Amino acid sequence: MTGGFAGWIIGGGLLLALFCVISAVRDRPMGVGLLAGLVVLEVALIVQAVLAFGQLGKVGERATFIGYLVGTLVIPLAALWWGRAERTRWGPGVIAVGAFTVAVMTGRLLQIWNGTG
Amino acid sequence: MSGQDDAVPVAAGVKAGPGRVLVAVYAVFAIAATSRAGVQLATRFEEAPVAYLLSAVAAAVYILLTVALGRGYRKLALVACGIELAGVLIVGTLSLVDQAAFPKATVWSGFGSGYLFIPLLLPIIGFIWLSRGRRA
Repeated sequence: MTGGFAGWIIGGGLLLALFCVISAVRDRPMGVGLLAGLVVLEVALIVQAVLAFGQLGKVGERATFIGYLVGTLVIPLAALWWGRAERTRWGPGVIAVGAFTVAVMTGRLLQIWNGTG
Repeated sequence: MSGQDDAVPVAAGVKAGPGRVLVAVYAVFAIAATSRAGVQLATRFEEAPVAYLLSAVAAAVYILLTVALGRGYRKLALVACGIELAGVLIVGTLSLVDQAAFPKATVWSGFGSGYLFIPLLLPIIGFIWLSRGRRA
């Protein structure tokens, strides 16, 4: 797990959350753009999880770290499933919550990884 | 949370639209609080038993609210929102007044300041949403 890659995920998550909020404000349901963004985010998170699991020996707080790591993988999928079911502006609202959460959790992961948590 | 009780209008009223975002936020807090409390209780319970047990209580309340809002149990959701608000206010006040009693942080310490004060805002938003849903 590197700061650069995690930084991209944090930035991407926040950007996706922003686009979701814009969709919600414009009163649009979730479209293909947000779906694609969510898929890209999930793929990046899977790559990060694989990389991090490969070097798990370096981590001090291992239980918390694994919990966060698994959480970041599950949240976009849950947000997708729960947000797609709501075909109003509140669908993107749910995705925004998920994307923001992933960004925050990736930040925490980075802190634990660097031992500054 | 499949569509099996969509036929009940009350249930749909609580969990549809903005309610769905509320459920999503509660779900995140339920997961976060449960895992945090689990790790605290499992690895260092003796450091601060009261604070860590409170973490577990907070986690239980968040799980209860996620289910109650997601399934549209209005009364249960109202009661749980009340417990949540009381918990945030009591623990938040105690954590500032008597810091020795709360040496380790919980979700509700400092009125949820470690979580952007979302723990304090959530039950208030929950009450507003539940009372609006009744009129609709």
